[in-house]
Amino acid sequence: MDASAPRRIVVSEADFDAAALQAELRDACAARAGAIATFTGYVRDFAPGEPTRTLYLEHYPGMCERELGEIGDTALQRWDIAGYVIAHRHGALQRNDQIVFVAAASAHRGDAFRACEYIMDALKTRAPFWKRETLADGRSFWVQARESDFERARQWEPGASPTTENNNG
Amino acid sequence: MANGATIELLYFARIAELVGKRGEAYPLAQPVSGRELLAELESRYPGLAPASRLKLAVNQYHRPASVTIRPGDEVAVFEPVTGG
Repeated sequence: MDASAPRRIVVSEADFDAAALQAELRDACAARAGAIATFTGYVRDFAPGEPTRTLYLEHYPGMCERELGEIGDTALQRWDIAGYVIAHRHGALQRNDQIVFVAAASAHRGDAFRACEYIMDALKTRAPFWKRETLADGRSFWVQARESDFERARQWEPGASPTTENNNG
Repeated sequence: MANGATIELLYFARIAELVGKRGEAYPLAQPVSGRELLAELESRYPGLAPASRLKLAVNQYHRPASVTIRPGDEVAVFEPVTGG
């Protein structure tokens, strides 16, 4: 792993500027990165016909940052990427607000795409955040983890044959 | 216990609501397994049952229930994470 590679973790209550984070990563990677793949997650309705009013994100300060850094560094070791950014919010969010942003820079788009997807899949099952949903009708509850998220994360384990890696085109 | 051997327990999200607090200093004189600790917590806070679904982090690292917990550790108890 290139110890000098740009690695940025942001865990904040305040909103982040995704375009600024991406531009900062591009500049920090100088001309080594011909590609940056990004993912942005937003607060969406809990389900069709069940509009979300607010989303509260609880987090484990300290462990969040460490776990996200470890996930990013694994991506850095596993793929040919020049650097990454992972941003995640906590606290009270509204419908359509940004929750999470991931960017992976590389000379090659395949590595950038795969690193970005790996980081998101690992984040969903490892980063210590918990969502509390309040619907438009006033019902409020802690969101339950989905088995499909764990299945996606397992695809990246050594020895697994992830369909995403066979889809390189 | 005379020397005040404890672990620092942290509760998150629904677990904090069920227990009614966000954390506590918990007496622990001897090492125990995560499974033993969760069983103790379940008898102290019946709302946590079944404790087998709960996850642990020890000193801010995810750990399986087979982990050994020692006095002085920071131990977080939570349901599977739902960020992203």
